[in-house]
Amino acid sequence: MIESHNTKGLIFNVQYYSIHDGPGIRTTVFMKGCPLKCLWCQNPESQRLQREIFFELEKCTGCGICVQACSEGAIELFEGRSRTNRKKCSGTGRCAEVCPVEARKIMGRSVTAKEVFEEVARDALFYQRSGGGVTLSGGEPLAQPRFAVSVLKLCKDAGIHTTVDTCGYASWDTVQQVLSYADLVLYDFKHIDPAEHKRYTGVSNELILDNARKIYHELAIPMLARVPIIPTYNDSADNIKATTQFISSELGKNIKVHLLPYHRLGETKYERLEKMDLAVLIEPPAEEQMLALQEIVQSFGLEAVLGG
Amino acid sequence: MNERVRKLKERLQVDKYPICVEKSLLVMESYRQTEGEPEIIRRAKATANYLDKKTIFIEDDELIVGNVASKPMGLEAGSLGPTWPEKELEELRQGGLELSAQDEMKLRAMDDYWTGKGRTLWERMGLYYDDERLWPFIQSGILLPPWEKKNEGRGHGAAGVGWGLGVGLTLIVVDYEKVLHEGLNKLVAEAEEELRNLRYTTADSIKKADFLQAVITANKAIVRLAHRFGDLAEEMASKEISLNRKKELERIAETCRWVPGNPARTFYQAMQSFWFIWMMIASGTTAGGRFDQFMYPFYKKDKEKSSITDDEALELLECLRIKIMQYNFVGGNKLQRDKWAGLARWNNFVIGGVTPDGEDATNELSYLILEAAKDCRTPHPTITVRVHEDTPQDFMLKALELGRTGIGMPAFVGDKSYIEYLVANVVPLREARDYSLGGCLDAMLAGKSRTSAIGMFLVPRVFEIALNNGFDPRTGRQLGPKTGDFENFKTFDDFMQAFKEQLAHFMSLTAEEHNILLQAQRELYPDPVHSLLMVDAIKEGKDVLDRTLPFENGSVLNPVGMINVADAMAAVRKLVFEEEKVTKEELKDALAANREGYENIRKMCLAAPKYGNGDAYVDMIARDLYQFWADTTATFYSIYGAKMKASGISITAHGPGGAITGATPDGRYAGENLADGTVSAAQGRDIHGPTALLRSAMAINQAPYQSTLLNMKFHPSALRSAEDLGKLATLIKTYFDCGGKHVQFNVVDRNTLLDAQKHPERYRDLIVRVAGYSAYFVQLTKAVQDDIISRTEYML
Ligand code: SF4
Ligand code: SF4
Repeated sequence: MIESHNTKGLIFNVQYYSIHDGPGIRTTVFMKGCPLKCLWCQNPESQRLQREIFFELEKCTGCGICVQACSEGAIELFEGRSRTNRKKCSGTGRCAEVCPVEARKIMGRSVTAKEVFEEVARDALFYQRSGGGVTLSGGEPLAQPRFAVSVLKLCKDAGIHTTVDTCGYASWDTVQQVLSYADLVLYDFKHIDPAEHKRYTGVSNELILDNARKIYHELAIPMLARVPIIPTYNDSADNIKATTQFISSELGKNIKVHLLPYHRLGETKYERLEKMDLAVLIEPPAEEQMLALQEIVQSFGLEAVLGG
Repeated sequence: MNERVRKLKERLQVDKYPICVEKSLLVMESYRQTEGEPEIIRRAKATANYLDKKTIFIEDDELIVGNVASKPMGLEAGSLGPTWPEKELEELRQGGLELSAQDEMKLRAMDDYWTGKGRTLWERMGLYYDDERLWPFIQSGILLPPWEKKNEGRGHGAAGVGWGLGVGLTLIVVDYEKVLHEGLNKLVAEAEEELRNLRYTTADSIKKADFLQAVITANKAIVRLAHRFGDLAEEMASKEISLNRKKELERIAETCRWVPGNPARTFYQAMQSFWFIWMMIASGTTAGGRFDQFMYPFYKKDKEKSSITDDEALELLECLRIKIMQYNFVGGNKLQRDKWAGLARWNNFVIGGVTPDGEDATNELSYLILEAAKDCRTPHPTITVRVHEDTPQDFMLKALELGRTGIGMPAFVGDKSYIEYLVANVVPLREARDYSLGGCLDAMLAGKSRTSAIGMFLVPRVFEIALNNGFDPRTGRQLGPKTGDFENFKTFDDFMQAFKEQLAHFMSLTAEEHNILLQAQRELYPDPVHSLLMVDAIKEGKDVLDRTLPFENGSVLNPVGMINVADAMAAVRKLVFEEEKVTKEELKDALAANREGYENIRKMCLAAPKYGNGDAYVDMIARDLYQFWADTTATFYSIYGAKMKASGISITAHGPGGAITGATPDGRYAGENLADGTVSAAQGRDIHGPTALLRSAMAINQAPYQSTLLNMKFHPSALRSAEDLGKLATLIKTYFDCGGKHVQFNVVDRNTLLDAQKHPERYRDLIVRVAGYSAYFVQLTKAVQDDIISRTEYML
């Protein structure tokens, strides 16, 4: 893959002092675009590989300035507030610039690999002491492979530890090329059953599990397993058992498993994206349930951590 | 917390703090009899009169004894000035204080003695405030709070406990070791010896005689007081039915008859001795010094003999925390009280750090002190952890575990930067390594320095004035020199130059104010108790305010709101001079109108680079401003002949300071709070997390400052696991390695605080940290509460 400093990518956040995305103090680059459509997605703003408008309804005064500013005719006034036709919107961000009360924000920033690297390198001092580095997350880093490789390579050349947080859904070719620049992989296991996986995320998990085996055995990159715990979707003891079974027998017993309880912080984001129809209401799992699931993982002889 | 401590702690919860007038009456009784005698002798006699006659009691369950006010949880009305005027008193009554009408009359009867005779600090200072130059400046509020009347200063009336208000507003860390290891009797004997050998050959030698006499009189009285407690304990023991308590009382009796007159022989005696001294110097700012260091030999000896367990040591440490909680302090007029955010206290105990040899100083006691604070959960005294390269990770974790409880302590300070600062000020390295803290964070040497870090200078007020060619829109006066109309500046640098000229002008007036204040204190408040606990006290033979000390940081200049000005300058540079999006006239109009009708300009101002995000554009401006402040400060001299020092603590001045400052181009509305701390970001303006904030802070050269203050607020989710805490520890160490001086954390979530505002009754023991000290959240003023809530929360 041709990597270059000037390769462009679309990201939606650079989060400094990330302490739950790998070892040490890290900077997490959230990339936009994801091949999966998890029903419970807590980062809906990461799904599309395109800039989008975040709209805070309660701030909007209905002044109509944005309606005038939009070259795509994507905005109309409705019940005293603005409303965006998401199909028409091409993500110019004009409306966000003109809105006097900051009811509109543009999600997504187009940057070169070099630019991202420079932002990441600012915290080099903190990485050094803490054994931290950069984490590419998303969205799905593998969805922008050239950009991901370019960023990772720049970081590695500068001696910065690299981690990629991935759902593993990409061709082996892509996986191999990107991850060969990763010092650590955070691998997501959303459901172990192929049919259920397809039902909840839109794709089957066969490729994902296959890639996991190859990453672990062929590329021999250290791996942490991340299992989101989403009540009623994948939180059954059976699923966690089967998932752990897969990890311990097909991968290795030295893999640490992070059980990530569902949180509701994503709920407001659906509203901001005017995608309320896609929002699902899920109660976060109770502490006791998390502890019980932790025990299951431990019973396989694997280390299990609650949270990041 | 064991049962005893739990019971003691329960008694701390009172709805109103009673004000006790006993001390005022006893002091006045003495003062009326000593009119005309040397001031220091009068102080000594008043001390003795007060200590010999004060009401004493020992409360149930107490192991460390010694009441200060005459009533439990009482505050002693100030004895060195008039009472609060009616209006202020009423407000205090509405707040947390209780004063009976009868006692009020007794206090009022004494007001006459104090007023109109140049006997109060404010009256003394007012004498020098000529109408042309200094008085308009003092009224302007650039130095907070603005004075309204020449003879009332920051307002009359104060209440606290202890005899420690004696040195006015000066901060001192006394040399506790002297008392603990040698005992007062020996020191008094030395003073007697010195007096016998004294020959009256110079003016100084005659003053020395007064000093020595005063030291002897006052300190003998302290030992007598301890004996009174001993007698009381014995009497109580004889009547006690419970065998256990009887034994405890007998031990108390024996202890109080031994210390502080004699050297402490056990950890228990050392704790009691410490408390007796503390009572004598107690004020809102009395510091605990390097407590884990000077108490350690006693602990170690007991442990070696197996005569104490860690549980027992812990219990005593907790009893001391309770003791310190039993007194409070409130003083001045409303603005002054707002500045100090209610019952503010800065009783700082310092632990950890390096020894004079440069080795790690952490010991078992350091851990126990943290444990006591975690266990007993009182906001006072506060704890500061000195951090150096080799501070054990376990100790960092232990300290952060305490921080995680949301109690608002400990604060962390960097040995590297502090020691370098002291060495740069010609303090020998071994002594520098033994530094301690006065007030919140000011670098101090126990017994070898005193500082006066109370002047809060509002930099954004000067920005307003610079924007108006020296004219102050608030007071309607031409306060500063004419440095040019904003509209006529061709370049940003020209404007910056004009601002600096204004700043230097007002700094020089502040330096004068500080000197007047120091001299007034020096004349009014000699103090034989503090003075004895200074280095070479007897040989030197001078009051602590009347001598030049080895590390002379007697006067400091302290900027507030510098970060607002850095942000404002960045906005002006970018919008007005570089991009020309806003004209100079528009900007001035928008500020004058508090941006009403100029929302667009405010939006642009807000979007300009902000300090706290690691953005060099504005960070370099902040760096330049702080450097200018430090350099300019070093051109002024205090009355002690030493260069003034730069310090960077804002305490809570950013609230009331903001209230009297107009709109600024950083996007702040008129009246809104100024940025808190000194290297913290303005509230809510740092949006890239803690490392970005630290990068900004590291861009500032903190070396010439004897303190800087950086607040960070963490949501508990950032501090869940030991691993999280380990990362935070690394963050702290990295900052300190790169010149950082201080960092403190607020660990609490926003919703809790909002709810606490609505339902204070449910959150009586919710503790937060406000710039250098901890307080019960519900006791803070609304503005301070709002401020805490608005600080950026790092949701992780
Ligand atoms: S982002 Fe651009 S296209 Fe989309 S609504 Fe706003 S102005 Fe219109
Ligand atoms: S410009 Fe802003 S406030 Fe006005 S209608 Fe559009 S979103 Fe609402």
